[in-house]
Amino acid sequence: MLSRPTTEQILRGIADELRDTVAPEVQSEPVKVLLGQIDQILRGMATRAAHEIAWIHDEADAISAVTGVEVGWPASLHLDDVVAWYDSVSRVLSGALDEAFEAGDTARVSELKVLLDARSANEMRIVGALDLVGRG
Amino acid sequence: MLDPSVMPELLAAFLVQQQPTWRNVKVSSYEVMTGGYSRLLAKAVVEHDEGSVVVVLRGDPPADKILIHTDRAQEWELLQALSQHGVRTPTARHFDASGEHLGTTALVIDFSQATSFLPYVAGGGSIEGLNERLAEALASYHAIPLESLPARFERPTSWDAYLSTRIDEWRRTADQHIEDLPVLRYMAGWLDTHRPVEVPLTLMHGDFQSANLMITADGHFEMLDWELASIGDPREDMGYFKAVAQAAPPDLLDEAGCEAFCARYRALTGLNELQVNPAVVAYFLVLGVVGTVRRLLEGGADYAHGTNHLMASLFNLNAVQFGQSMWLSTADALGPVLEQLAAIASAHHTEGNHV
Repeated sequence: MLSRPTTEQILRGIADELRDTVAPEVQSEPVKVLLGQIDQILRGMATRAAHEIAWIHDEADAISAVTGVEVGWPASLHLDDVVAWYDSVSRVLSGALDEAFEAGDTARVSELKVLLDARSANEMRIVGALDLVGRG
Repeated sequence: MLDPSVMPELLAAFLVQQQPTWRNVKVSSYEVMTGGYSRLLAKAVVEHDEGSVVVVLRGDPPADKILIHTDRAQEWELLQALSQHGVRTPTARHFDASGEHLGTTALVIDFSQATSFLPYVAGGGSIEGLNERLAEALASYHAIPLESLPARFERPTSWDAYLSTRIDEWRRTADQHIEDLPVLRYMAGWLDTHRPVEVPLTLMHGDFQSANLMITADGHFEMLDWELASIGDPREDMGYFKAVAQAAPPDLLDEAGCEAFCARYRALTGLNELQVNPAVVAYFLVLGVVGTVRRLLEGGADYAHGTNHLMASLFNLNAVQFGQSMWLSTADALGPVLEQLAAIASAHHTEGNHV
């Protein structure tokens, strides 16, 4: 299997071509907006392709450590299996949050929120600079 | 509605029926507009022997292209009520309820001569004093008596029940999404433990953001796109405006502008400082976006299920992720302030004072 250029590089290359070569030739305003959206989506997908599986595993380790719940492993490293496993790991965190709020345990809520902050930081690496293209 | 080769004729025929006094009606220009994420928009110039008008058509997309399901009939009735109460919004003139005339269920609305707010700002327009104009815009429709609103609007039984429903919407959204999102459960818990002081329920715009605002020649805000309007807590519109402004500046309710905004709004509505203040606005920055978040997540889930193929559904997930980072940082900064306000309100309550 040819692994280079990487999926990340290819997706960014497509996004660059659409932005620099295709978009300037487009006259239709709705299509320009669509291309602007596709540009941001492709760049986010490039970051996901490069890091998604590693970030999910890192997060699962952290959730397991803070909640004390053994979260196991995905059935394989194929993305569908990893994503299904990630859903089960997320449910562990959701359950812990519900319990902490129910008990009024603010210290525990704060511990768990650190995990949410870490997840959000990765998501913002994917989103990059959000541009609500086409609005207004 | 998107086909300029047939729409001028359809629109002219519709207007002939709607405006029997107009003679020789002709649509001389018809162009599809951008700017509406959920509805089809087009601008048309209509000429007749008695004069000419510029109108906007606002219609439902085909079933497989619908991003958000909303009710045009409700929007039509609401626009009538808004006009009757002098709210600054383009007047709705006609409604093709069945879509038999215009090809889809559509409203025909006056074209606004005002300037879109975001391009106004991008072009160097002054924003001085606009925080107070924003308060006036909000107060103008928040003041409409609930009995004047269309009967089809759902009426919550009480403020407390309403707020509980809104907070639970975070949990329901979490339960119904295609994958587990712990941040939604966190926000529900946080919102529940930091409830603000009660206010009377009012009409809410539901999508009160810069992209739906125009600046008139005399420096006032005109409001567009009422499709998500409902009856609820008026402060949700404030929080929602602030939330969207984080991604699409300027934020007229930033640290420098929010206090004057709140003071102007309190002066117009008679609410007090415990009810409307910058901290409470920030609380609703989180609460006020739940409806939009739910709809955007539903779009993403539909895409994952293969039941829609809209690029906008994917793109909008970026806004959800951006929002998550904002909610989390807001919770950190705001928690202690809201706890302090709750203590003051509780002390007032104990002393028998109204808050």
